[in-house]
Amino acid sequence: MTRFVVKRLAAAVFVLVSISILVFLIFFATPGVDPAARIAGRNADQLTLQQVRATFDLDKPLHIRYVSMMKHLFIDRDLTSYVNRGAEVLPQLTQAIPATLSLVFGAAIIWLFLGLVLGITAAGMRKSWVDPAIGIIGIIGVSLPVYWLGEVVNLITQGRLHATLFRWVPPLGYVPFTESPGGWFLALLFPWLTLSLLYAGIYIRVIRSEIVSLMQEDFIKTERAKGAGEKRILIKHASRMSLITVVSLFGLDFGALVGGSALLTEVVFGIQGVGRLTFTALQNFDLPLIMATVMYAAFFIVIANAIVDLVYAWIDPRVRRG
Amino acid sequence: MRRSRTLVSLIALSFVLSACGSSSSDSGSDSSAQGQEGVLAPYDASKAGGTLTLVAKGAAGTLDPHINYTLQFWQLYQATYDGLLSFRKVDGPKSFETVPDLAEALPELSDGGKTLTFTLRKGIKFSDGRDVTVNDVKASYERIFKVSSPTAGGFYNGIVGADACLAKPATCKLDQGVIVDAATNKIVIKLTAPDATINYKLSLPHAVILPADAPTKDAGTTPIPTTGPYMFASYDPNKELKMVRNPNFKEWNREAQPAGYPDEIVYQFGLTAEAQVNAIKNGQADWMLDPIPADRLSEIGTELPNQINVHTLTAMWYLPMNTNLAPFNNVKARQAVNYAIDRNAMVKIFGGEQLATPACTFLPPGFPGHKDFCQYTEGASVESPAQSWAAPDIEKAKQLVKESGTAGQKVGIVVSDDEVNKQMGEYLQSVLNQIGYKATLKPISSNIQFTYIQNTKNKVQISVTQWYQDFPAAMDFLYILLGCESFTPGSDSSINMAGYCNKALNKRMIDAMDLGVTDQAAADKEWGEIDQAIMAEAPVAVAFTPKQIDFLSARVKNYNFSKQFYMLVSQLQVK
Amino acid sequence: MTTHEPAFDLSSESPGKIALRTLVRDRRSWIASSMLLIVVALTLSAPLYASLISKTDPFVSTINGTVVLDGVEVQVLQQSTEGLKLGVNPIGPTWKIGPYFLGADNQGRDVAARLLYGGTNTLLIGFSAAALTLIVATLVGVIAGYSGRIIDSVISRILDVIWAFPVYLLSISLSVVLLTSGFKWGPLSLEAGSLYLPIFIIGLVYVPYVARPIRGQVLALREREFVKAAIGGGAKNSTIIFREILPNVIPSVLVFIPLMVSLAMLTESALSFLSIGVQPPDASWGTIIKDGLGLLYTRPIVALTPGLFIVVTAVALNLLGDAVRDALDPKARLRGAF
Repeated sequence: MTRFVVKRLAAAVFVLVSISILVFLIFFATPGVDPAARIAGRNADQLTLQQVRATFDLDKPLHIRYVSMMKHLFIDRDLTSYVNRGAEVLPQLTQAIPATLSLVFGAAIIWLFLGLVLGITAAGMRKSWVDPAIGIIGIIGVSLPVYWLGEVVNLITQGRLHATLFRWVPPLGYVPFTESPGGWFLALLFPWLTLSLLYAGIYIRVIRSEIVSLMQEDFIKTERAKGAGEKRILIKHASRMSLITVVSLFGLDFGALVGGSALLTEVVFGIQGVGRLTFTALQNFDLPLIMATVMYAAFFIVIANAIVDLVYAWIDPRVRRG
Repeated sequence: MRRSRTLVSLIALSFVLSACGSSSSDSGSDSSAQGQEGVLAPYDASKAGGTLTLVAKGAAGTLDPHINYTLQFWQLYQATYDGLLSFRKVDGPKSFETVPDLAEALPELSDGGKTLTFTLRKGIKFSDGRDVTVNDVKASYERIFKVSSPTAGGFYNGIVGADACLAKPATCKLDQGVIVDAATNKIVIKLTAPDATINYKLSLPHAVILPADAPTKDAGTTPIPTTGPYMFASYDPNKELKMVRNPNFKEWNREAQPAGYPDEIVYQFGLTAEAQVNAIKNGQADWMLDPIPADRLSEIGTELPNQINVHTLTAMWYLPMNTNLAPFNNVKARQAVNYAIDRNAMVKIFGGEQLATPACTFLPPGFPGHKDFCQYTEGASVESPAQSWAAPDIEKAKQLVKESGTAGQKVGIVVSDDEVNKQMGEYLQSVLNQIGYKATLKPISSNIQFTYIQNTKNKVQISVTQWYQDFPAAMDFLYILLGCESFTPGSDSSINMAGYCNKALNKRMIDAMDLGVTDQAAADKEWGEIDQAIMAEAPVAVAFTPKQIDFLSARVKNYNFSKQFYMLVSQLQVK
Repeated sequence: MTTHEPAFDLSSESPGKIALRTLVRDRRSWIASSMLLIVVALTLSAPLYASLISKTDPFVSTINGTVVLDGVEVQVLQQSTEGLKLGVNPIGPTWKIGPYFLGADNQGRDVAARLLYGGTNTLLIGFSAAALTLIVATLVGVIAGYSGRIIDSVISRILDVIWAFPVYLLSISLSVVLLTSGFKWGPLSLEAGSLYLPIFIIGLVYVPYVARPIRGQVLALREREFVKAAIGGGAKNSTIIFREILPNVIPSVLVFIPLMVSLAMLTESALSFLSIGVQPPDASWGTIIKDGLGLLYTRPIVALTPGLFIVVTAVALNLLGDAVRDALDPKARLRGAF
């Protein structure tokens, strides 16, 4: 097992390094993104451009530039942006983290709650109309484009009905909890609901199907034979067992979201989180910021994957091959 | 200059025309009265106070005034930094005139205009308490080169010693070009040749006076001490920029640097344009930088007309065509495009006839040197032009495309990926297809589109871009954008995107610039002829002259529109 | 994806026939299929609609054009006449069979016609990208699961790298590079505006999503007695793969099909929304939503209808996916979002 752990972690590091190299290459292969002219400003003359290139090491070969950037990012931690000159990249990232965490934690609580309650209910009431009804909710949830839903929500709460029904909705953006807990909550309410709808759909379906298949397993049949009531079986045994799948799935989803996968939600609702920062960096072709945000996102995805894999390997030794 | 959030330098040109006629009711001040006087109404202390909130989608890069080249921050520098000279901070046509700012008077000229002598005002302090001295002036001009200001080579290369500074910026010394005397407080600037536009150049933020010990590299997000009524308290490019009153400011020349009304000015970043409109409607913000989305224009134009101000600009939206690449290396193809585009349609995309006027000439209406003519409208031609544009001539365009032999060729249109530019691009694609090309649209991030279309390596055939005057001088349009010296193949900095170089016309332009030193009127007439001669070869297609909309919250009063600085931020009253 | 015991049925029917029968009996597959058929039929009727009913070319801008409605000739994009007369509005839905049933967009084009054409592109990209993903992922997953440790490690690491890239970063970067300069690799050359680019990008990005579960399944299958017996019996690897492994993997792949089409569609619409998917003047439901955002406050119908179409199609696909999964194995346990 230890060998597996070591191998798995080594693989994680390898992935992270590969991603950093790939990002670097993609950026410099993209036409029109020579940073020198943008840093120097419009209509800068050739001497100015050369000067800027020298200052930013832009005239050195690719691999030296890559190493220099990694050094500034991880060791010196003073990597500066190409677009907002002088602005350090890491503080921008760390300042954006609370917003994303607030968004993701809140949405996670909502979707887990909905997923569990509705999923268990659907599984338990399979013979009735409740099951298909909840199923439809679930399916609709996974079929909605999240950015479209967000814009529609905005249209209603910020535009059309803002003067009447939704007067209490604050303007788009993130209010830090330390500044105003009430404002923090209100500003995040609709983003939470929008983001969680997609995941609630997924989890309702996963939990329901997990439980349904578990209900036919042998050990459940044993419980029935022992005389346990259906409800007890459902809540005590099946739900608990289904948690293995759900937890691993949640680990992956949550990891990705913390890293900034809620990009579209953040953009649509104006929340200055990591996802939005990544998007802005991409649009601006701000390589240092892109590198920092992508490494941050990749880190969480890779770690979440590694943890889930390790847990599965611990449970099922056959998987340890990889 | 180009008016984008990221790259813009801005100097207005004085014009006599319709500017104020097109503006809507102004909340508060009587613009024309002040405009005649050349100075704002006397300061009303009872209206001072409060926090002014401005909103924009994003910040504009570095805060360093010697480097930043964006309209967004130049609008803030007007109330924070000062040069030896400044443009009048006033509403109306006189806002194009330069007045002494840190200098006591306009410069004394000698030596045929090659030497300018200023006397520095006494008693002005930086926001950190220190006095402004002649040493700060010399150091600031040297700093322009040390930090590689974008216009160091373009605007300030006329100062004696600038060549050496451009070659070796780090050790820049202007001992021969900027001679200061602390005893008499005199500053003597020596130029290599007389320059009719030097006063304007000295009024730009790239030439403001900073403390001599300001960092000799880009200051980035660290504020540099100011001389104006406000100072920068903090700057986080992802969240907000905060300006507070400069405790050491005392008004010394109301024409050049008037005292401000708000106690604090906060610039918030991150909202989309739609959200910005909502914020202003709901009173959560006072003014927005970004263009109003097309689907809100009629709404706010109808519901809140008193909060809207519209002013004509000396600027243009135009389509540079690459004269060195097929199909637009053929003059008939370029003329075809000029005939084909329906400028009214483009005006509609921009927001309708209240917000833009179709244009045919390279120099915008009201600009010095502007001559009314339109060669590319229905029924007109290069030989017998009309007075103004009326309608497109698709049939003639198709004919020209056939004659040029370029029919059926592939054309890529490169535009910025913001909403209005994309719509322009889609429209153009449709038109080019109509006249016989196979057009594709390439939207590019607005952060890089401008440099992208300049670099010949990207093989851009046609694009959509804008130009806002830098200077009230015809050379700022014609020579800067179409002169041979502005074309540098293989560089991201080659503002002559058409790659146009007509040696004969280039010489005429240089001659006209020289003529302007002695006889501006004659020079302007010559510029008009040059404009028509160049447009006969159609290196670009000029689309329309845009107007500026300022949308303010209900509580804001005392709106003033300077043709140089646009909205005077420090003069808004929010109490 | 964990393995399942093949249904041990003493009857003479093959598992395939049993699955088909279950599927046919399932109400969901009928509902889903009809929904899909309606959507597909509508989108395929786009050219007919454009020529017979809307009578305009949905790919040509008519900003200054006019149209006759109720006998009156009106501008397609009308100058505002109230207040300061700012802004220009496209005409709204007429709700009559004829031109501009759903109104016009910012370029004066018929929204209803574009919606139908757009559906063709969205569905085409969705199905093609899903097909690409499934074919490549099955290949990769089987090879990785079946081969020796080294090949498996290499493939797994490549899959990890692709998957750890935030989907949008990878798509945006690839799209920007490829969309401006096209894609040339040997004899394969794709034009900048080609639809193959989004298909390729979306197809590539989701390969790990399918390949990993398949790899897991193959790994487990390899340890099963019947496979070990075949190996021990001296059968060639390719025979084993085709005879023993693939038939057990195919059901999982089939289950993935509707899901991947739905995911691909949603991703395409997101990319088009970010302007890096389908390029103008081609339409897709995603680009129309993006167009509609610019009209959200005045003509919300333009943004709402493509979104609704996407939802309806995705719902149908997911329903179908559920039915297929249940038909193939009612006890299927899935690791992964379903």
